[in-house]
Amino acid sequence: MSDRLPEAIDPSLFEFAEFDEGAGERIGYSDYSYWKSTFKVFLKNRMALHLLIVLIALLLFTFVQPLLPGQNSPTKINIDPATSVQMRNKPPDSTFWFGTNSIGQDLWARIWSGTRTSLLIGLIVGFFEMLVGIIYGALWGYVRKLDRAMTEVYNVLNNIPTTIILLLMAYILRPGFRTMIIAMCLTGWLGLARFVRNQIVIIRDREYNLASRCLGTPTRRIIGRNLLPYLVSVIMLQTALSIPGTIGWEVFLTYIGLGLPVSIPSLGNLVNEGRLIMMSPDLRYQLIFPTIVLSIITISFYVLGNAFADASDPRNHV
Amino acid sequence: MIRYVLKRFLQSMITLFIVVSMVFLLMRLLPLEGYFGDGYDKLSAVQKTAALERMGLLDPWYSQLGHFYLKLARGDLGTSIIYRRDVPVTEVIAPRIPYSMYFGITATLMALVLGLTLGVFMARKKGKTLDRAGTAYIVLINAVPSAVYLLFIQLYGTSLFNLPILFDRYRVKSWILPAISLSLGGVAGYAMWIRRYMVDELNKDYIKLARAKGLPEKLIMIRHVMRNAFVPMAQYLPAAILSTISGSIYIESLYSIPGMGGLLVDVIQRQDNPMVQALVLIFSSVGIIGLFLGDILMAIFDPRIKLVKGEGAR
Amino acid sequence: MADIAEEIVLDVKDIVIKFNLRGQALTAIRGTSLDVRKGETLAIVGESGSGKSVLTKSFLGMLDKNGWVDSGSVLFEGQDLAAFRDEKPWLSIRGKKISMVFQDPMTSLNPLKNVGAQIAEVYALHRGYGAKQATAAAIELLDRVGIPEAGKRHRQYPHEFSGGMRQRVVIAIAMACAPRILICDEPTTALDVTIQAQILDLIRSLQREYDFTTIYITHDLGVVANVADRVAVMYAGKIVECGSAEEVFYDPRHPYTWALLSSLPQLGIKGKPLFSIKGTPPSLFKTIEGDAFSARNPYALKIDFLREPPRFQVSPSHWAATWLLDPRAPKVEPPEIIRNLRESRQAQDAWFSGSKA
Repeated sequence: MSDRLPEAIDPSLFEFAEFDEGAGERIGYSDYSYWKSTFKVFLKNRMALHLLIVLIALLLFTFVQPLLPGQNSPTKINIDPATSVQMRNKPPDSTFWFGTNSIGQDLWARIWSGTRTSLLIGLIVGFFEMLVGIIYGALWGYVRKLDRAMTEVYNVLNNIPTTIILLLMAYILRPGFRTMIIAMCLTGWLGLARFVRNQIVIIRDREYNLASRCLGTPTRRIIGRNLLPYLVSVIMLQTALSIPGTIGWEVFLTYIGLGLPVSIPSLGNLVNEGRLIMMSPDLRYQLIFPTIVLSIITISFYVLGNAFADASDPRNHV
Repeated sequence: MIRYVLKRFLQSMITLFIVVSMVFLLMRLLPLEGYFGDGYDKLSAVQKTAALERMGLLDPWYSQLGHFYLKLARGDLGTSIIYRRDVPVTEVIAPRIPYSMYFGITATLMALVLGLTLGVFMARKKGKTLDRAGTAYIVLINAVPSAVYLLFIQLYGTSLFNLPILFDRYRVKSWILPAISLSLGGVAGYAMWIRRYMVDELNKDYIKLARAKGLPEKLIMIRHVMRNAFVPMAQYLPAAILSTISGSIYIESLYSIPGMGGLLVDVIQRQDNPMVQALVLIFSSVGIIGLFLGDILMAIFDPRIKLVKGEGAR
Repeated sequence: MADIAEEIVLDVKDIVIKFNLRGQALTAIRGTSLDVRKGETLAIVGESGSGKSVLTKSFLGMLDKNGWVDSGSVLFEGQDLAAFRDEKPWLSIRGKKISMVFQDPMTSLNPLKNVGAQIAEVYALHRGYGAKQATAAAIELLDRVGIPEAGKRHRQYPHEFSGGMRQRVVIAIAMACAPRILICDEPTTALDVTIQAQILDLIRSLQREYDFTTIYITHDLGVVANVADRVAVMYAGKIVECGSAEEVFYDPRHPYTWALLSSLPQLGIKGKPLFSIKGTPPSLFKTIEGDAFSARNPYALKIDFLREPPRFQVSPSHWAATWLLDPRAPKVEPPEIIRNLRESRQAQDAWFSGSKA
C-alpha cells in the first residue's frame, strides 16, 4: 500500500534529526501523588461535599451556640413571669425556637447541649476504638506467634452479645457518662481490629516486606511505614462509621433506662423523651427536632466515611 | 469431615464455656441491693441473708459455678428466682420463643427476597436512579439508629395505613407492621452485600470468558454472576435464622409482642441470675452454632474450600 | 512456513478505537488496517500499551464499556463487525465464528463450575445440544486437547487442574464449535516454559485438524518465531510493519522493529551491554504529530516529526511505514544485531543447501 506523495516535500526534511534521548522519557511522565488523587476523587463526590459542609457548619454551631447572645441554659426550668407557672410543652415560637419540653426546659438549648454530649461520647469512643483496634489488629496480623492466642481472645469476646456486655457494665458500674464510654470502648474495637488484621495478613508476606525484614528493619517500623498506609481507608471508614454506631448504642441504652441521667441532655435522652409523647400530634415536635439533628449527624458521618474510603482506594484514582 | 465437625464442636464448647462463665461471674458483681427491688430497706438483716442464701448467692463463686454446670449437665437450665419465682426457666422461655422466631424468620425470608432482588437490580443498573435510590435507603437504615426510624414507622404506619399499634395474635393486621419493621435492616444489609459482590464478580476474568463464549448478558448474570456472588453470603444465613430466637428488643417493646426480646433486659434489670445465665447460654450457643453451620454451608457451595482447621477469626 | 494464503477472512480497514477515560478521550487505535488470511497464523507483536489487545477485542465486540469504534470497518463473512450496535448480532459470532483464548488460565474459568459444564455450555448454546449430548461432546473434546482421564476429570473444578491443563480447557471452550478464527491473547505468558511449547503445539495441531485461522497477540518474539506465518508489528495504536515471519525477522525495515528485535537478550553481543529502547511510548490522549516512534528513534528524519509515514512495499507480502524507505531518504544500515541475525540466517541457509547436495 505505498503512497505516491501528492505534493513535493522539502528534500532537507529527509536529513537525520537530532536524537534527544531524554525526549522519550518526558512524553510518558505522569505525576501521581496518592493524597492529591484521594483529595481530587473525594472532591468530585458532590453529595459528600455537601454533607461535609453541612456537618462542619453543624459542628461549629454546636460548639459556638452557648456563646451566642440570648441563649437559655439547657437545664433551667423556664417559668412564665406573669403566671408563675412552668412553661411546659410550648410549641416553637419566637422565644423558644424549638419549643419547650414537658417540664419547661428550652428544647433548642437542650438539643445543642445534647449534641455536644453525644458527639463527645462518640469521639472519645471512636478514638479509643481506633487506637486499640489498630494496635491489636496490627500485632495480631503481623506477629505470627501471637496469632493463635489473639484469635482465641477475639472469638470469645466476639461471641458475647454486645447487648449483654453493655447491659451488665451499665448495671455494675451504674449508668452515667463514664460508664457508657467504658462499656462502648470495651466492645467497639473488635471490628476494626479484625479488618486491620485481615489486611495485614494479606500484605505482610509481600516481597517488599520480606525485603525490609531481610534488611533488619524493626517490626514497629515495618508496621508503621510499610503496612499502615495501606490501611488508611479501612481505618478511616471504621472510625467514621463508629460515630453513628455509638450514638445508636447510646439511644438503645437510654431506651432501656441505662443511659445518661436526665440532668445531662444527650440525643438519646431527647429522643426517648420525645418518644414518650409522640402519640399526640401537637407535642410531636419534641421528637422531630432531636431526630432531625441526630439523623443529619449520623447520615453525614456515614456518607463521609464511605466517600473517603472510596476516594482513598487507588483503583478509583485518576 | 467427621474430624472437622468434632474439632469445631470442641472449639465451640470451649468458647461457650468461657462466655457463659464470664457472664456468670460478671453477674456476681452486681450490687446486692438489686436483688430485692424496692423492698430492700424494709427487710431485716436476717431476712436478707435468708433470701440471698435461698438464691444461692452466699456460696463461694467457684461452688456456685460448679453447681450451675452440674445442673446443666443434667439438662436443668435453672429456676427463675425473681422474674417468675420458682418457675423453671424453660417454662418461662418456652411460650415466648415462638413469637420471636415466627416474626424473625418471616422477616428474614422477606428481607432475603426483597434485599437480594433489590441488590441484584442495583448492581445491574449501577449508577442509575434505582441504584441511587437503593443506596439512599441503605444509608438511611445503616446510619440512623434503628430505635429512631422504627419509632417513625410505627407512628406513620399506624396513622397512614390504619394499622393497629399493639400486637394481638388474633388480629392479622397487627402482624404486618412489626414484620415489615423487622425486615428493613435485613433488606438493606442483603442488598448492599449482594450488590457489592456482584460488582466485584462482574470485573472478573471468567466473566469475560463467558462473554467471549457468546452468552447473552442476561444468562451471564443469572448463571455465573449471581450464583457466584451469593456464595459468600450463604455463610451468614444459618446465623441469621437461628439468631431470630433472641428477638428484637425495640420491635417487641414498641408493639408489645410477648417475645424473647425484652426478656433479657428485664431479667438483667431484676438481677434474676438463673434467667440471665440461661438466656446467655442460649443466645451464645445459637450464635456459635449459626457460624458453624454457615461454614459448612460455604464448604458445600464453594468447592475450593477444604474444611481443614477452623480458619481465622470467627 | 506455509505459503501466504490468498483468501482474506477478516479485513480491517482504517479502524479508529477510542476510550473515554475520566472525561478525556484516548485514541487507542489511531487508524490502521490489517488483513487476515484464511488458514494462516498471524502474530501481532508490540509492547504493552501498543493496542494489540484492544484491536483484537474489537473483533469480538469485547471492548471495555468506555470504549468504542470511532470509524473504520471490520469485514467478516460479508458483515461489518464495527457497525454492530448492541449485543444481539455478536451472539452469533462470539464462541461460534470467532473465539478467544485469554492470558491467565488461573482466573479465566468459573471457580464454582466444573470444567465439563463450562465446555458443555458452549455446545448447548450454539449447537442446541441437550444436557447428555453436550456433556459427551465436552468429554470428547477434553480428551482431544490432552486432558487425561477425561471421563472422570470433566466433573472436577478448575482449581484441581494445573495451569497448563486449565489453559487446555480454555482452548477447548474456544474450539468447541469450530470457529473460523481463534484469537490467542498471550496464551502462554502465564505458563512455565516447558508447558508453553505444549500449548503452542496443541493449538497448531488443532489448527491443522479443524482448519481455522489463528491470531496470536504476544510480546514474546520467541513464541512468534515458533508459530507465526505472518507478523504484524504494532506501536502506539498503529501497525508499523507487516510481512511474513521470515521477512520481518531477517529483513526488518522499520526502526521500531529493529529496536524490538535488538532487545531480545538472546541476540545480545557478547561483551556489549544489552540493548533497550530508551523512553516510553507516547500518551495517546493527545493527537500525535508525525511518526509516533520518532522521539525514541535514533534514525529519525526531520520529516518523521512532521508527517506520518505512509506504507512502503518492500516485497508483495512485506511493507513498513517508515520514511526511511522513501527513495529520497538516506541509505541506512540496520543496527549490528539485526545484521548479525541476517548473516547468521544466510549462513544457515548456505549450510543447509550445502548439506542437501
